[in-house]
Amino acid sequence: MRRVAVIGVGITKFGKHDRTSTELFAEAAADAIADAEIAPRDVQALYYGNVTGGPAERQLHMGPLAATSLGLPTIPTTRFEAACATSHAAFRHAVMEIASGVSDVVLVGGAERILNVPTDAATEYFAYCSDASYEQSLGLTFPGVFALIARAHMDRYGTTEEQMAHVAVKNHRHGVLNPKAQFQKEISLETVLRSPYVADPLKLYDCCPFTDGGAAIVLAGEEVARKRGRAIWVLATAAAADTMFLHEKRDLWRVAATERAALGAYRQAGKTPAEVDVVELHDCFTIAEIVATEGLGFFEPGLGGIAAEKGWTSVGGKIPVNPSGGLKAKGHPIGATGAAQIGEIVTHLRGEAGARQVDGAGIGLIHTLGGNTATVLVSLLGRD
Amino acid sequence: MTEGVVTLKSFFEDARAGHLTGIRCTQCHGLALPPKEFCPTCQWRQWEPVPLKGSGIVTSFTVIRIPPRGRVPEAPYAVAVVRLDEGVSLLGRVVDIPLEALQTGLAVKFRPVVANDQTIIGFGPA
Repeated sequence: MRRVAVIGVGITKFGKHDRTSTELFAEAAADAIADAEIAPRDVQALYYGNVTGGPAERQLHMGPLAATSLGLPTIPTTRFEAACATSHAAFRHAVMEIASGVSDVVLVGGAERILNVPTDAATEYFAYCSDASYEQSLGLTFPGVFALIARAHMDRYGTTEEQMAHVAVKNHRHGVLNPKAQFQKEISLETVLRSPYVADPLKLYDCCPFTDGGAAIVLAGEEVARKRGRAIWVLATAAAADTMFLHEKRDLWRVAATERAALGAYRQAGKTPAEVDVVELHDCFTIAEIVATEGLGFFEPGLGGIAAEKGWTSVGGKIPVNPSGGLKAKGHPIGATGAAQIGEIVTHLRGEAGARQVDGAGIGLIHTLGGNTATVLVSLLGRD
Repeated sequence: MTEGVVTLKSFFEDARAGHLTGIRCTQCHGLALPPKEFCPTCQWRQWEPVPLKGSGIVTSFTVIRIPPRGRVPEAPYAVAVVRLDEGVSLLGRVVDIPLEALQTGLAVKFRPVVANDQTIIGFGPA
């Protein structure tokens, strides 16, 4: 299989937009194509991600709509849906299309528009990513799913609400330096701890926001990428799955799919967690970051909360996690999130992240989790 | 291969009548809840229905305070993960237990909750 590289990145401002999701994607994609220094006609396929367009925008068949909005109506498209891991799943398939030699240049990414509907409707649509019979029927929400995980982690390891709050404070501090972030505002530990419960033990500031936004990546095969000085190589891209049913999870305090995807990615790349310089991981809730730092092998099981408290995951700490501000501060347009995380890591590996640059970053890891921990993607990127 | 099959429909119809019905692999005897074709453990494709007593302990829980659309009048309400005595777990809405009395390890008992003609799993005092 031939090598694949990211040659272009585009991300819209995250927040509230008065544009459709496919318009948002088209802006990000045009930026990515410009960044890649290719002609639009060089793109041979689009792998497009979106989750809630059906109920929130009454729109299906979004692949060709995205391509049409971009001005490339004749490229073949496929739409992906893998809950919050959607565009990272699309990325993996796009990498395989190039690695196999089918195409030389592929556009991949996604977008979400959800702030056009009331919060209770958005909460309902996101809950569609959990099982209808056993979970949605109970009125279980996504904060509720991660609250069940948080309680189990607290019981098992003594993780505290204050440790979780440190994740939110750190990611908001990082987000201040990201001009694309939904929230560029520091928050205090007290602000998090005094915020109202959404789903005990998770409070409002333990939760990422609803967000509109789009993100896009241009991928190319080695022959095209070699001609570009800013190419960032795909060292590994691994997918793992676990039972969809929360009632079948073996240990609620772990995310088995994260552990398996990480193992697969480290093996593919021939790397270890200690060799990773910068990480974008899926902090949809503060507890999710804590569990992910354990599952990805950066800390022993049970030490993720302590790592957050001690600042080990801050930029400048042992392993910089979510320099973008993460889903918590940057925002979480679910169909765009994976591509946006990949874009952030590419920006650091190129040394173009400005005030938030993780100095000397040579290897970056991206972790994206979908739904009730049933889908996880982990990719590793590196400089030449 | 499909005689005695427990579907989601039959599972919730049984639940409405007050009975929980699991499925047991006829080869490795692993216990599960529907739907399943292959046994995730041994890949066998033959199951038999098995009645579950409905008693268990809370292994995790949350109190939903910001509910999805249509659930606003019900909030706040608790959802618990319950490990049944037979070894499988099941999620349920907590009923007839004060929210402040909820804790992990609490013994609970299944009871159906029927609202708007939909049956959901409930757990009340043991």
